[in-house]
Amino acid sequence: MTLEKDNLWYKDAVIYQLHVRTFSDSNADGIGDFAGLTQRLDYLEELGITAIWLLPFYPSPLRDDGYDIADYTSVHASYGSLEDFKTFLAEAHRRGLRIIIEMVLNHTSDQHPWFREARSSRENPRRDWYVWSETDTRYQGVPIVFVDTETSNWAWDPISKSYYWHRFFSHQPDLNFDNPAVFEAVWEVMKFWLNLGVDGFRLDAVAYLVEREGTLCENLPETHAIIRELRKRLDLAYPGAMLLAEANQWPADVRAYFGDGDEFHAAFHFPLMPRMFMAVKLEDRKPIIEILDQTPEIPESCQWFIFLRNHDELTLEMVTDVERDYMYDEYATDKTMRINRGIRRRLAPMMDNDRRQIELLNGLLMSMPGTPIVYYGDEIGMGDNIYLGDRNGVRTPMQWNSALNAGFSLADPERLYAPVISNAVYGYQAVNADSQKRSEHSLLRWMKSLLQVRNAFQVFSRGTIQFLNPSNHRVLAYMRQFGEETVLVVNNLSSSAQAVELDVQRYKGYIPIEMFGRNLFPRFGNSPYLLTLGPYQFYWFQLRRI
Amino acid sequence: MAEDVFLSDDLLRQLMSVGEVDLLVGMSSLHAANTVSHALDEIEESFQRNFVRQRVVIVNVGGGDNDEDSARAKGHDNLAEKGVRVPGITSLRTSHRVAANVPGSPSPGIALRTILAAADLLRARACAVVSPAASNLTPDSVANLLRPVYREKFDFVAPLYTRNKYQGLLARNLLYPMSRALFGWGIRELFSEEWAFSGRLAALCLNQDVWHEEAIQARPEAWMAISAMASDFRCCQAFLGEKSQATKGLGRDIVEVLRQTVGTLFWCLETRQSLWLDSGRSQSVPTFGPAHELTSDPTDLDRHRIFEMFRSGVTELEPILSSILDPETHSEIKSIVSLEEGKFRFKSGLWVRTLYDFAASYHHAVINRDHLVQALAPLYRGMTYSFLAEHSDSSPAEMETASETLCGEFELQKPYLMERWKAKVEVKS
Amino acid sequence: MRQTILRALEQVYGNLVHMIAEFLPRFLVMLIIIVIGLLVAFVLKYILRALLGLTKLDRVSDDAGASRVLRMAHLPPMTELLSRSIFWVTWIGFILVGLSVLGVAGLQEQISRLFQFLPEVFVAILILFLGAVIANFLSRTALLAAVNAGHPSPKILSWSIRFVIWILAISMTLEELGVARRTVISAFSIIFGATMLGLAIAFGLGGQDLARKCLERYLGDTKKKEEKEPQPL
Repeated sequence: MTLEKDNLWYKDAVIYQLHVRTFSDSNADGIGDFAGLTQRLDYLEELGITAIWLLPFYPSPLRDDGYDIADYTSVHASYGSLEDFKTFLAEAHRRGLRIIIEMVLNHTSDQHPWFREARSSRENPRRDWYVWSETDTRYQGVPIVFVDTETSNWAWDPISKSYYWHRFFSHQPDLNFDNPAVFEAVWEVMKFWLNLGVDGFRLDAVAYLVEREGTLCENLPETHAIIRELRKRLDLAYPGAMLLAEANQWPADVRAYFGDGDEFHAAFHFPLMPRMFMAVKLEDRKPIIEILDQTPEIPESCQWFIFLRNHDELTLEMVTDVERDYMYDEYATDKTMRINRGIRRRLAPMMDNDRRQIELLNGLLMSMPGTPIVYYGDEIGMGDNIYLGDRNGVRTPMQWNSALNAGFSLADPERLYAPVISNAVYGYQAVNADSQKRSEHSLLRWMKSLLQVRNAFQVFSRGTIQFLNPSNHRVLAYMRQFGEETVLVVNNLSSSAQAVELDVQRYKGYIPIEMFGRNLFPRFGNSPYLLTLGPYQFYWFQLRRI
Repeated sequence: MAEDVFLSDDLLRQLMSVGEVDLLVGMSSLHAANTVSHALDEIEESFQRNFVRQRVVIVNVGGGDNDEDSARAKGHDNLAEKGVRVPGITSLRTSHRVAANVPGSPSPGIALRTILAAADLLRARACAVVSPAASNLTPDSVANLLRPVYREKFDFVAPLYTRNKYQGLLARNLLYPMSRALFGWGIRELFSEEWAFSGRLAALCLNQDVWHEEAIQARPEAWMAISAMASDFRCCQAFLGEKSQATKGLGRDIVEVLRQTVGTLFWCLETRQSLWLDSGRSQSVPTFGPAHELTSDPTDLDRHRIFEMFRSGVTELEPILSSILDPETHSEIKSIVSLEEGKFRFKSGLWVRTLYDFAASYHHAVINRDHLVQALAPLYRGMTYSFLAEHSDSSPAEMETASETLCGEFELQKPYLMERWKAKVEVKS
Repeated sequence: MRQTILRALEQVYGNLVHMIAEFLPRFLVMLIIIVIGLLVAFVLKYILRALLGLTKLDRVSDDAGASRVLRMAHLPPMTELLSRSIFWVTWIGFILVGLSVLGVAGLQEQISRLFQFLPEVFVAILILFLGAVIANFLSRTALLAAVNAGHPSPKILSWSIRFVIWILAISMTLEELGVARRTVISAFSIIFGATMLGLAIAFGLGGQDLARKCLERYLGDTKKKEEKEPQPL
């Protein structure tokens, strides 16, 4: 299969997020690499995903898992070479898989040559590439992102004897986008990768690009101007390439990042994610309905990206205090699980390894409006290790089989970049891709069939959504519609069987066809349509009028 | 042939949608159509402030098919649908409102039975009944009722109020001391429009075959409290603030109030003989919040009229009273009737014996029981007059002391009641 | 002559023996009927007692005040009274049937007339009894209501109601028994009609002011009463 020319490919994609370090090690150094990843592309193709989002693989001191970039146009030696990357890219494209890479515009590592030059003296030409100040009193009141480790957004540079601005870790100084040279440099970096053939960029921390006194230094008009310029150049030179915004904001605030279809192609819908977990635990659809009702319309060419888990903590920034407390009490009873106003756990452990709940959440992910992202390992129900520092507990080696090091690497176990999960429930002996490939009813097989159905209908990726709101609040039911395709999705959020009567009079005469078994259900008539669902069960019905 | 069912299909369908709940608040919106919306808002706010994580439902029992009330009282609260997020408050869950329309004008007994049935089907852990017309219905009062049941695992919660010292004299001088002496628990407000109970008490009461009884139809709350006491359930009281003023025409007609309250109390004595015939000394119940308070705000009362009605009542009802009262009691009452108004006092010992005579006569059905209770009205007026005269200058603390003394008198004379209760009846012509 | 007398005596003796021979079987049948009647009466009494016990008739009777009336008359409770009544009615019926079997001339006719009159007697007794109960109950109801409402003359009102109901009950009883039917009906109509007419004239013409004041006082009293008495609960 080869890639089709499609400028809106990201709307129909199913994304697989992974860090090359975690996936597969080909040279037995204990660290995953591009060569190993290339060897696993068949697995990803079989799974049914259509694009891979790679976490940062650039040269870096790795003090923030690669988000502290020291060289934008190379590959970290641990992961291979640029040639390895090119080989990987070509093989991925050959299988019809698109590649999205990270682009951290907001800041660099303090080890980046740009910063080393900038700090070397106040007269250095790159001095103005970063944000400096004689005092740490500028931009008062701006919130700190990493509250668990940082006490200020200013850090003292002992070399140039002045303060520099950093919204994240102190070793990640912010670039100064008021300097046009910075913009041009960043554009050159992006062109480098686009010329190699990457299909899109996830722009990390995009909300924080510009600072202005008297503001929160987030979402400023100048930031949007920068994005628009980037987009303009991208569309001109690389049509079909995608920009994905990482902006952990309320949907109404993220809306601005789509512009009039002239800024980002896509953005994460952060607030939806914790609410899906909340709804399942509360057994009440209210959180999901509320947040989607608050989600504004976006331009036709744009798309929300939705996800269940990712490499970071499950962020609880976009929830109220009451909601945060509830999530902590239900999903992170052990305080070790909590970090930075979030929960650092994987999907399966959060759901107590309950297969039904895991399936339900994946069903929600695949049927709600937006492009879904699957975090590596969640398709087999991998566990986590909350005793590793920072967010590393959800970044453990991929579990391929029950052999040494879960088949991730032939290196000595002590040499692995992180230990494999080996407890009785989630350990690699119990949870691995090979055993699940062999089992017909495994989670992996189920995910494949789920993606198969989803990929066969554009209604899921591009359709509208209309909630039915039956009186039983434990049932979340909605219609998805795109052109002639109409799909009814009914989810039981509760741990007990439920009955629900759906008002489908508008669709009188339609025949619901259950999409996994292709079985016919009774036709919709004048009366409310009665359905019964088992615990955590969901239905996808294709509606046909014959 | 299938039996007639109590719950309508519509109500059952609504309950199906709600599912299991932690908290249920019920109310009867009959005669209170104007205040239903406000009451619903107050209860919702209480849920949001105090029980944000709990699964909740409001059950509104109305009469007939009042579409407007039904529309207001039905459905679920979705803030998103309202388009407004209440500042500083959020509710995690859908809050349901169930409207139960009962044909005709449902009595308080039918309303309570509906609420109990809903509580039982929804497996509610804590329930409260409130009155939408009550002026003291606030988010805090709702929470104060529910918390002892939900958090402290009590089974019955009676309210406590701040009252004017001349309010609630029937409760102070009859209902409270008598029920305390006989049933053993010091619940001040046995008859009120708001109380709370546990799911298991709801199940117990629902399954009793008493719903056709007139006593239950009018004032079922006392029966619930006594059922709790009889089954060794945990009871307590919760302070709710100022007592709501009775609305015009309801709660102020003394004869009607006597029929509902004293009639129910006597009926409870009749049906729960095993409970009180063997009970020992009374014990206090735990109280949440401040104890009840008395204020000394002035009130406008026509004492002379009260006395005249007592005197004329005792005189005119002599044949009836002679068949109810013990001859000695009756003779004493006749002697105090002839006293001058200024010197008249209805001693507590005599008052207690009078009530016990009435209770025993009720048991023996010497005359129609409803007539018997009505015949108490003039005597109650006499007691009221005497109380007002004696305590016109008393402080709330002094009145409280007097109340305790009266309670002691009721307990002291309990053997007298037991003796009369078990005696054979002689018919007086 | 001696022969004639002897022959007459023989004939008379023979007739007597024949009469006794004819009477004895009938007498025996009468005894059998009476004994059967006794048994049937007992059975019916117990059945009725059981049925009435299920319907809790005594409780209803207590509430209606009928039990008190019975006690005053030294009668047993309602269930027992009815059970015993059915016993006696049944047995007396069987006795009368037995007597009719004897074939005594003239007796059958009298028994037949008695049978025809019995139901009316029962109904008359029932009317009187119900009248007494209703009069007692309603007069007491009126007395209590008037006293508690502060009516100036409660006893008069109570007595008036008792009087009217008694008059009605007695009239109906006499009519049922067929005693001076026309006289009774006429007298009752005159008394009742005159009373009502008199009251109407008194209130309508002669007592406009009084009627108005009574109404005002009633309505005013209700409101004032509510406001001038302390709230009981």
